[in-house]
Amino acid sequence: MTKADFTDETLMRYADGELDAATAEALERDMETDDDLVARVALFIETRAAAKEALRPLLDEPVPAELTASVERMIAGKRAAGVAPQSGAGKPEAVVIPIAAAREVRRPKPVWLLPVAASLVAALVGGFLGFRLEQGGDIPPRGDIIAGIDSPALRQALASVPSGQEQQVDEHRFRAIATFTDRRQETCREFELDSETRSTVIAVACAAEGGWRVDFAVAAPGDSSGYAPASSTEALDAYLGAIEAAAPMAAAEEAAALKAIREPSKQ
Amino acid sequence: MTDTTDRVEDRLIAFLPNLRRFAISLSGSRDVADDLVQAACERALASADRFEPGTRFDAWMFRILRNLWIDQIRRRKTAGVQEDISDHHELSTGTGEREAEARMTLKSVAEAIGELADEQREVLLLVCVEELSYRDAAEVLGIPIGTVMSRLARARKNLGVAAGIEAAPARSDHSKGVRG
Repeated sequence: MTKADFTDETLMRYADGELDAATAEALERDMETDDDLVARVALFIETRAAAKEALRPLLDEPVPAELTASVERMIAGKRAAGVAPQSGAGKPEAVVIPIAAAREVRRPKPVWLLPVAASLVAALVGGFLGFRLEQGGDIPPRGDIIAGIDSPALRQALASVPSGQEQQVDEHRFRAIATFTDRRQETCREFELDSETRSTVIAVACAAEGGWRVDFAVAAPGDSSGYAPASSTEALDAYLGAIEAAAPMAAAEEAAALKAIREPSKQ
Repeated sequence: MTDTTDRVEDRLIAFLPNLRRFAISLSGSRDVADDLVQAACERALASADRFEPGTRFDAWMFRILRNLWIDQIRRRKTAGVQEDISDHHELSTGTGEREAEARMTLKSVAEAIGELADEQREVLLLVCVEELSYRDAAEVLGIPIGTVMSRLARARKNLGVAAGIEAAPARSDHSKGVRG
């Protein structure tokens, strides 16, 4: 009589208590007469125990007092003010450019972006990409930013430049950071745009019918060396979390996804 | 609306050791880890209203921290910094052996975990060390549950080989599927 052929994953699920009762029962029956099967299961039980044991010392390690104090301060700040804590001192402040239209369409539930954005200074970038926004103004009229960013050269770059590479786009340096899918399985790209003298804009654009839709943009001032400071990427992280961005695609996967965007008819 | 027993700010301090362990294990560096933990706490407090009471707080925090870490990696790669952080993984307290030596002697489990591919290590940490369910781990990592299982199985087979965790009495050679 042939035994069921249990895959490693099935054995692992058994070891982790994640296997359904019926399969677990069948497996246990076979294990009574199959030492090899027992040994394979044991590997998963033992690796779990060993991993847990090996990293226990890290849990026992005292948390640096500085870190605890810093977190306690943030908590106290939140309790006192009932508002989001400010970014750490000394970091350059990022400027969030809300994109009204995109937010409206793309937010099925409240996103993380908003509380984070509120904690950042709501100044706006003037003249970075050829658009001018009033100092201290609120949400700019829809289209300004998208129109500013959405040049044919940029669209072309979005659909072709592999992540990790740069290309000159109009008067800006375009740097592709990553390609990933969001919760709607749309292909999105994170990228940065530098101008010679001004800030770096970090943005996320998703492939939409007939082009790209810029859904998120943060302008990070200062640092002429390019590469946005960490505080501006926090807003980005929050945004990526909110759209449930998947992990960045590997190079081959990305190449295929971009090709599909360039040549939609061949899909 | 917020349940007072389930508030982010009430739970954060007690969770710091776990969060820090996860961060050290991910990044391989205590300095990087402490910055990550701090940034994750800041993020969590700023988005506390996004935490749904009744769901797993640990999974939520791990997800925030990991997203921060992934973004750092992206940036480092883009910046062309070739430094491979796993070269100086600090999971174990001892200094890392040279690779040639390591090949001959069995590694400690902590070292072996430190040398797993990132995608295998993180899933191992979440499930085996932090005891998340496959489903919660899938949430944290933003991947399908099937991918969690395949990565986790590979991680454990690789760990078993590297650290010499034998599958009980070696009655037969069943090395198939083990990545060499």
